[in-house]
Amino acid sequence: MTKKADLSINFCGVKFENPFCLSSSPVGNHAEMCSRAYDAGWGGIVYKTLGLEKSFKVVMPSPRLSVYNYGNKKFVGLQNAEQITDRPIKDNIRDIALLKKNYPNKILISSIMGYTDEDWSELAKMSEDAGADILELNFSCPQMAHKSAGHRVGQDFHAVAAFTEVVKKSSKLPVIAKMTPNITDMIPVAIAAKEGGADAISAINTIKAITDIDINNFTPLPNIHGHSAATGFSGPSVKPVAMRFVSDLYNSKDLNLPISAIGGIETWIDALHFLLLGATNLQVTTGILRYGYRIVEDMIEGLSDFMIERNIKSLNEIIGKATEKIVDPSEFTTRYQVISVIDEEKCIGCGQCYISCQDGANQAIKFDPKTRKASVDEERCVGCLLCKHVCPVWDCISYKEVDTKNAKHAAIF
Amino acid sequence: MKKNINIGKIKQFKSMRESLSLQDAIREANRCLLCYDAPCSKACPAGTDPAKFIRQIKFYNFKGAARTIRNNNILGGVCAHICPVEKLCEQKCSILALENPIDISGLQRFASEYGEKFGIEPLVKHKSNDNKIAVIGAGPAGIGCASVLAKKGYQVTIFEKENAGGGVLRWNIPEFRLPKVALERDFNNLLDIGVTVKYNTNIDSEDAIQSLMKNGYKAIFIATGLSEAFRMDLFYNFSNAIDYISFLRTIKIKNGNEALVNKNVAIIGGGSVAIDSAVSAKACGAKKVYLISLEHLGELPADQEEIDLARKMNIIFKSGSQITGLVSDKNQITQIKGKEIEWMEPEKFIPENARQIKGTEFNLNVDLVVQAIGTKPGKEILKFSTGLKTFGKGILVVNENFETNIPGIFAGGDISNGGSTVVQAVGEGKKAAENIHIFLG
Ligand SMILES: Cc1cc2nc3c(=O)[nH]c(=O)nc-3n(C[C@H](O)[C@H](O)[C@H](O)COP(=O)(O)OP(=O)(O)OC[C@H]3O[C@@H](n4cnc5c(N)ncnc54)[C@H](O)[C@@H]3O)c2cc1C
Ligand SMILES: Cc1cc2nc3c(=O)[nH]c(=O)nc-3n(C[C@H](O)[C@H](O)[C@H](O)COP(=O)(O)O)c2cc1C
Ligand code: SF4
Repeated sequence: MTKKADLSINFCGVKFENPFCLSSSPVGNHAEMCSRAYDAGWGGIVYKTLGLEKSFKVVMPSPRLSVYNYGNKKFVGLQNAEQITDRPIKDNIRDIALLKKNYPNKILISSIMGYTDEDWSELAKMSEDAGADILELNFSCPQMAHKSAGHRVGQDFHAVAAFTEVVKKSSKLPVIAKMTPNITDMIPVAIAAKEGGADAISAINTIKAITDIDINNFTPLPNIHGHSAATGFSGPSVKPVAMRFVSDLYNSKDLNLPISAIGGIETWIDALHFLLLGATNLQVTTGILRYGYRIVEDMIEGLSDFMIERNIKSLNEIIGKATEKIVDPSEFTTRYQVISVIDEEKCIGCGQCYISCQDGANQAIKFDPKTRKASVDEERCVGCLLCKHVCPVWDCISYKEVDTKNAKHAAIF
Repeated sequence: MKKNINIGKIKQFKSMRESLSLQDAIREANRCLLCYDAPCSKACPAGTDPAKFIRQIKFYNFKGAARTIRNNNILGGVCAHICPVEKLCEQKCSILALENPIDISGLQRFASEYGEKFGIEPLVKHKSNDNKIAVIGAGPAGIGCASVLAKKGYQVTIFEKENAGGGVLRWNIPEFRLPKVALERDFNNLLDIGVTVKYNTNIDSEDAIQSLMKNGYKAIFIATGLSEAFRMDLFYNFSNAIDYISFLRTIKIKNGNEALVNKNVAIIGGGSVAIDSAVSAKACGAKKVYLISLEHLGELPADQEEIDLARKMNIIFKSGSQITGLVSDKNQITQIKGKEIEWMEPEKFIPENARQIKGTEFNLNVDLVVQAIGTKPGKEILKFSTGLKTFGKGILVVNENFETNIPGIFAGGDISNGGSTVVQAVGEGKKAAENIHIFLG
């Protein structure tokens, strides 16, 4: 038997067997899909956002998706023009009830979006009655054009506070407020949600973006019968932005709420990154759209092995551990200097480091045309490590510290 | 990744590999490390500069890639099909330290075909000066030389004994390895830059060189290749024993050869051209095809890929064997007799070093014998000019500038290197052109 670490978490007073959840999207569209996700090992599901048909007619455009490609690598980011669920509310409520009956120990989070106070209240009550464990308030869908719904709300502190309060009054369930990244500073909005009674914050929803343009007809993609729009961008490309927001949220003393991190998670290492930046719970959509529910197996096993190797007994021991090291750039020391070190044995002689250092750094690499080996001119190297990053051999270029007092050094003089 | 060889296509005499699709090409170009001072480019004898055209493909500059190829190597489209890249550019690919080399020939073919398909502008005739240059032979060396001289403004005339240009490319290299369209595309580029070709002009008169000079040609480039095949004395009097040059030529012209259907063919030789002949015979519908060579399987000069292909086509390898005699009926050979051999001294693969092994006699029933044991220069070359220095089988002596012992007379390609590759011939032609330019000041 493989040893398994304890991956359980307590989030908003609710116990999850592991922190891995489906984020609200088509991956959690109906009961049959959600059952398969639970069976695959996901600890929880944020169901596809519910709304009330009477307030808003959901239109699902077609085609609905476009991708951002890099070189031969497809799908480094995904753009979607999708709105909230287009299934009848009664079907979804019936599915939620069925799921809770069949999977009593798995967590179901109901994502809701209303237009009026009454909508929010009604959706909260229906979800609670169906057996949902937690509510997530969708203040962040970039495709909802309505001025009192979607990410427009998420940019308006008062609306966020007011709607959260309505929900808290209508239901006893814990409440997560889902943030939009389409804003300069997320903290004031998150604090508004807290003032309305939110128990946790989730971030990020998608980033408004344009991924591609058809150069034959000058139409951005997805080309929806001649039109397009800047709509929600997700997947690996957004992870760095999501990490920044999660770290901001965790670092805010005034906020001090648990965080569910979303944005580009595909592997246990992505998951670990977010945990280290302060997330307790983790949500995934694009990774599943691309690879299916099965990826959770590798997240669970990978994270578990990492914990066992490091003797980490509970995820609480590591949550937020990396944020301590995040400071304002003005606080960096200037007395620390490194230079790159090239392992001649491992160098395959491509000279990419030479080109990059010549044209993008400090002309500190020498390239021997006969042996085709690169070497570092230690007096010129400024230690930016551009060379290390362009090198195709993972462990060929490393770096070492230099004595800043004695070195005759380009960066110091 | 290289496209696999498709045996079905070989039997139809169509290109045995598919072209890379746009997707394949982008994937492949993105594997390239875009080396500094790229070793692949340095390894190309004709200076095609693969590193540059691969970079251009990676950055979606497909027509730019096509321009690079045709500007640097007038036979770049041809070379994409038949260069032994695994011994040239691809052998030097830096990524070999990590994974398979980049499919350089695949990308070269992709770019050349892309240029044609998407309407790359035709090349134009350069403004010409008064200097006339004669090139003898419209094979790779002659074409390479003429292309550079025409771009420099010289009036270049190629004298070609056949009714079309290309040399071995047109008449001998099997269609499934080099489709005519590829040669046609490149050859048209040569005509577009203003090179004149005089076909059906066999230069074989006494003092041909002197008369060309008298007609105002300031310099001459001899690029006549190796037009005469060696034949074995044993087979001299038999009409069903031919050489591989004429054997392949018939098949190339007719896209097959019905006379070979269900016939037994013995090919003698163990090099690439012997394999070309054997595979062609099989593709024409021959029943049994034997490949008889002194060298053992592991010692064959042919490339591994060629040997693998021959095996897939059920060619029967009689390697490590020597022909000892034959049975005939009138002037037709009906059987070949042979024995297995061993080498007396190691690593000396010559007939004198072979010892026949007792009890290994074999008889093969044959309808046709094809001798693929090498070629030599045509005898007429010696008449070109009194005192033109040659060595060995009649190979012209040239210095490092590709100049013969007679000032103003240059030579390149198979006629002076003794037999090499297309890309080598193009490269020598290009270098000779530069030296002719210097010679004429
Ligand atoms: C069957 C076969 C397969 C080959 N496969 C490959 C391959 O896959 N890859 C590769 O790189 N190389 C290959 N080679 C070798 C390659 O074809 C030669 O190295 C190359 O063609 C040499 O070019 P050249 O211009 O020197 O000679 P040639 O190609 O022989 O051209 C000589 C030209 O001169 C003309 N000529 C000859 N004498 C006269 C005259 N007296 N007057 C006027 N014109 C004359 C000929 O008609 C011909 O057009 C192959 C060769 C053969 C025979
Ligand atoms: C096709 C699609 C539909 C989505 N629909 C919703 C939705 O209905 N409600 C919601 O809160 N978020 C929705 N999202 C946003 C995701 O839940 C998630 O916040 C975002 O995609 C970032 O995570 P990821 O990179 O793992 O996909 C959707 C995302 C995608 C790709
Ligand atoms: S660390 Fe920067 S400056 Fe130093 S060698 Fe590398 S690229 Fe050049």
